[in-house]
Amino acid sequence: MKPERLPITEIWVYLSGSPLFALVITLLAYQTGLFLYQRWGRNPLANPVGIAIVIVAVTIHLIDMPYAEYFKGAQFVHFLLGTATVSLAVPIYRGIHNIGSRALPLFAALISGGLVSMVSAVGLAMAMGAEPMIVRSMVAKSITAPIAMGVAQSIGASPTLTAVFAVVTGIAGAIMARFILDFWRVKAWWQRGFAIGIGAHGIGTSRAFSVHPEAGAYSGLAMGLHGVVGAFAIPWMLPLIDRLVG
Amino acid sequence: MIIGLTQILIFQGLGELFSTFILPGIPGPVIGLVLLLGFLLIKKEVSAHLGLVSDAFTQHLGLLFIPAAVGAILYLPSLKANGVAIVVALLGSLVATFTVSVLTMKCLAKKEKEDSAPS
Repeated sequence: MKPERLPITEIWVYLSGSPLFALVITLLAYQTGLFLYQRWGRNPLANPVGIAIVIVAVTIHLIDMPYAEYFKGAQFVHFLLGTATVSLAVPIYRGIHNIGSRALPLFAALISGGLVSMVSAVGLAMAMGAEPMIVRSMVAKSITAPIAMGVAQSIGASPTLTAVFAVVTGIAGAIMARFILDFWRVKAWWQRGFAIGIGAHGIGTSRAFSVHPEAGAYSGLAMGLHGVVGAFAIPWMLPLIDRLVG
Repeated sequence: MIIGLTQILIFQGLGELFSTFILPGIPGPVIGLVLLLGFLLIKKEVSAHLGLVSDAFTQHLGLLFIPAAVGAILYLPSLKANGVAIVVALLGSLVATFTVSVLTMKCLAKKEKEDSAPS
């Protein structure tokens, strides 16, 4: 029998049914994001992750692919989040090595900054009358997204919304940090970097690295420590969050 | 490369075990992170294998949460309805967080020789 040529629609059905398709659009979108980011002089507004999220969302909308189906394929990327979280131990270890006499100010800043990031976001969102689900998903938004999503799950918030808020926080933080830090006349690179890492986690950290290596190292340390402390402290504060947010 | 990845996966597995049986509520990978950090503090060095894998992950951390973040399309109506509240909360919280963190550090830091940042 002669092999019959498959009509294009059947090829399409076959491809879109395998995880390959979701993986390819995820990686292509990320590559495009990185390319545009480089192209626009590493402007924090052109954040590669933000661009990639929009590209994937628009693509699956255009081809009418339900999100659940996309995720079935893309979960192979998603799975690595946990692995990546574990590997954050390495930058924390490298950073912890040379903090020496700065341990006290850094630790105090981490605790106060972390608490303020949570309380102010939840307070403002509630004052503005946001839905309970939105408010709850604000709790972990200043933590690095891979950890924040796990925390969100354990406090009954939406990991997706928390990830989106974390990305927006990172982008806005990378843009605003300079102005706020200059306003307070902060000169020391380690203080600038650490503050950026507390407030704007990974995206802030890559920004800090592009300004000064010491700022980047301290920002990475703050991001890692904030993630760990938050992951232990936030579930413990759950009863309080339940009472406040309802 | 493979040695480093294997080490990390073992710690992730240990973390998941702890999370299931001893510390429910704390995400397994975070416990894995703490265990690996403890291991590094005892060993006092990061092997080249481990450094390689960890740097790759840290550099492309953003790629890994794209699949989850795309799920925001399911929340579009609610994001739109609460748009102003979300923007105010996120931006306000950033200003407050940066301010409190740097003021705490400025108050507590001993005077040391500073490389100054451009203003």
